[in-house]
Amino acid sequence: MNSLPQRAYLETIAKSLPDPLFVTDCSQKVIWFSDKAREIFGPETEKGRSLHEITGLDKLQQLLEEVLSRGEPLECSYEGATIKVKHLEKKYFFKVAINPIFYEGKLRGALVQLTDVTRFYEMEKIKSDFVSIVSHEFRTPLTTILMGTEMLRKGLLGEITPRGKEILEAIDQDCSRLTRLVDNLLELSRIESGTIYLEQEAIDVAGLVQEAVRPLSLQAEKKGVRLVVDLPDHLPTIYGDFNKVVWILTNLVGNALRYTEAGGSITVKVRHRGNRLFFSVQDTGCGIPRQYQDKLFRKYVQVRSKDRAAGGAGLGLAICKEIVVAHGGEIWVESEEGKGSTFTFTMPLYRQEEEI
Amino acid sequence: MGKKILLVEDEKNIILGVRTCLDAVGYQVDVVEDGEDALQYINREQPDLILLDLLLPKVDGFEVLRILKGNASTSKIPVIVLTAKAGEEYRQRAQELGADAYMTKPFRPQELWDKLKQFLPEEGDR
Repeated sequence: MNSLPQRAYLETIAKSLPDPLFVTDCSQKVIWFSDKAREIFGPETEKGRSLHEITGLDKLQQLLEEVLSRGEPLECSYEGATIKVKHLEKKYFFKVAINPIFYEGKLRGALVQLTDVTRFYEMEKIKSDFVSIVSHEFRTPLTTILMGTEMLRKGLLGEITPRGKEILEAIDQDCSRLTRLVDNLLELSRIESGTIYLEQEAIDVAGLVQEAVRPLSLQAEKKGVRLVVDLPDHLPTIYGDFNKVVWILTNLVGNALRYTEAGGSITVKVRHRGNRLFFSVQDTGCGIPRQYQDKLFRKYVQVRSKDRAAGGAGLGLAICKEIVVAHGGEIWVESEEGKGSTFTFTMPLYRQEEEI
Repeated sequence: MGKKILLVEDEKNIILGVRTCLDAVGYQVDVVEDGEDALQYINREQPDLILLDLLLPKVDGFEVLRILKGNASTSKIPVIVLTAKAGEEYRQRAQELGADAYMTKPFRPQELWDKLKQFLPEEGDR
């Protein structure tokens, strides 16, 4: 086979790849595209036009610009690299991959590849709707159980034997656990569907820390764990959702408490650095093996150890992360097995619209 | 004689629970199981307070709330929404329609008693 037919053959193969593909030059002009690209973006799809002219997608243009200016493949989160396209009255979701093309050491342009993830999106939607319905459906029966149990425990419905009281207390505790789970599931499905609702209120940080720590101080005392709050004298006001940030901190302290033995300590610290506040919760507990540290903030992930019963469903930290990110902050963990863990999250100091 | 509370709820077990809980502290409880009956009841008798579920047969809780709060003769009766709908959008809508309080299921008897006390001060408290 000589080289020309082979080239034509390769071109035919490339054109019939199942994804919309574009090759652009350094000025974002399209110099090649696959048949699927034209099918999705219509007859406007012609060589020599810019990618933006063809697709009308601002986000795609921005992502391409980023790749062309840095000369490195696109790197961003799944959500960040997903675009919505309407074609023949149907909504499609595409995941974007962009790779720079170097030839003879020079950047010549980029390959833009769109992968159809519509089906995946639909599944996600079904799942989060399902979670939302289930968690609502749990609430009514939980009410009956919780009310009945408490009235029995309080002796409002007659004398209960000591053993009976013990059982009622166990029911009550597990009922609370179930309620928390339902709350968390619902919160997560709401966050995932993009309907996270954040208050923008001025937050007094010292008050916030106190609100978060107070409900757990008795529990810590009972367990023989020292709970220390370390705040500087002066802290600036932050803006955000008071209840949600309290929730994060309570969750982190609650986790620390679960993994810290009697005689250990938990320190809640806030520091002001640059234009951010750093909230950290440090414990002297069992620590987290390195291989789990990155996975911790994912949904349904729980680190199980041989000698410890796991509690909860592994949703707490995933929710923490979503809330922190929605506030414009970051969250991470530093930990050494056997020595303890420190969870830290940041909150930006200014309202987002005031940031440049 | 205890204050009169109207419970608007269609779940039998919740009715039993709430009724028992309110009986225990001396409130008088009447129950209706859909929105239409609720509106008729309220026109007939003036309860001191209404506990209102949102998902109701015939006329839903939002509509009951809208009619009650839009009518001068009933707008002063405190309404506490008791619901399995935990979404912020529901809470907001209920508040916009004039709900005096919003309680998400599940709740404990103590929470309900505390809430009621807030709206129904004992005689002599005033």
